[in-house]
Amino acid sequence: MPLARTKPVMPTTNRLLDRLPERECAHLIARCEQVELALGESLAESGGPIRDVYFPIASFISLLKPMDGQHVIEVAIAGNEGFYGTPVALGVDVSPVQAVVQGAGPALRMSAVAFRRELSSSPAIRDCIDRYMHVVMAQLIRTSGCNRFHVVEKRVARWLLMTADRAHSSSFHITHEFLARMLGVRRVGITEAAGALQERRLIGYTRGELTILDRKGLQLASCSCYRADLAAYAAALG
Amino acid sequence: MPTPSPKSNQLLAALSAVELKRMSRHLEKVPMILGEVVYESGRHLDHVYFPADCIVSLLYVLENGASAEIAVVGNEGVVGVSIFMGGETTPSRAVVQSAGTAYRLPGQYVKEEFIRGGAMQHLMLRYTQSLITQMAQTAVCNRHHSVDQQLCRWLLLSIDRLPSPEITMTQELIANMLGVRREGVTEAAGKLQKAGVISYRRGHISVLDRPRLEAMSCECYEVVRRETARLLPIVPPH
Repeated sequence: MPLARTKPVMPTTNRLLDRLPERECAHLIARCEQVELALGESLAESGGPIRDVYFPIASFISLLKPMDGQHVIEVAIAGNEGFYGTPVALGVDVSPVQAVVQGAGPALRMSAVAFRRELSSSPAIRDCIDRYMHVVMAQLIRTSGCNRFHVVEKRVARWLLMTADRAHSSSFHITHEFLARMLGVRRVGITEAAGALQERRLIGYTRGELTILDRKGLQLASCSCYRADLAAYAAALG
Repeated sequence: MPTPSPKSNQLLAALSAVELKRMSRHLEKVPMILGEVVYESGRHLDHVYFPADCIVSLLYVLENGASAEIAVVGNEGVVGVSIFMGGETTPSRAVVQSAGTAYRLPGQYVKEEFIRGGAMQHLMLRYTQSLITQMAQTAVCNRHHSVDQQLCRWLLLSIDRLPSPEITMTQELIANMLGVRREGVTEAAGKLQKAGVISYRRGHISVLDRPRLEAMSCECYEVVRRETARLLPIVPPH
């Protein structure tokens, strides 16, 4: 009889907030409401107002950019290593992207007004948020190059790893259709790439759920962007 | 820094030429990314990892997310002893504390080699004994010694396992390992820096005064060092 847990280990805090000194952390959390984010929930529309900022605990948020009225592409993804609400921190009320919950779960929510107040009154919070935004900018720059130069298979591997990191699980529900939209690639390209990763026994499908079978192997199959992202985060926020 | 090879790992280096050649067919060189979770508690282990120049910490994670260190594994050992000890899964989590390279071997080959009863089995068993000693000592250390002493112990054990007396760490990882908030780590590292024992800049630690560091550590470092040296190919201190 197996004694060890097989459930994924879910975080109970947000890593950015953990970074703050005890007092500031408690102060900020006291001004947040813990909410349960639902899959597909829209937190902000592209061009729409941002009412609240979110610090995911065991959930993650996809930032999508609508293009040319019909396409949409994912530009960033924020889990408990970060937060959603960068425009607010930069003094802007409007979201340039669509923010959609891609991984359901708990998060801390704070009104944009309260958040701006906290930023201006606490250097520690300001510094932490600035560092994260620096990391996100570097990631956006990297993703821009990745989208242009890296082959689909490597991009898929990278995306799967990034998602698994933020889902804190090796298994999640995903369709080729969805993946195609996220990466801005034709569906047939995704099917080919996923097939290749499956053949190499790096990923597997069980009842509609994708499971990463060989994480290390998938890292090797990914473009260097995956590691570069982690290194950048560690350097700025470690 | 010397280029890593399988012989950078002391267990692999202790094998006969024939045995190493046999294993080399299935050994795969993999990057070990700072902060990555090599395996999660309760998960089935597929590979063992022989660190070449990286450090992996084994942590025990509680239901509420709190964690504490159990042991440190570097080039003197192997990560994933559960595979050949028969457990297949483990209640501990393995996290890369210092980035570098490792060589991984699929579980089936570890078991095959182990069953042969040759040098590999002998080394693995002796290593497991030294790991048990370390775990027992760490349990006592976590309970009775201060964060400052634990940090000293961990630094010493780590640099013993690295090519030079330097380590790039993230405060977050150290905090998780010692079971304290980041401020505790900043404070402890700050004290060591003030005492001139280490230089500590942006996550990069250099040990400047090793004898002093040993003096500031608890007895646990020496106990573990002595046992490891007694059981295994010698790990030369700096």
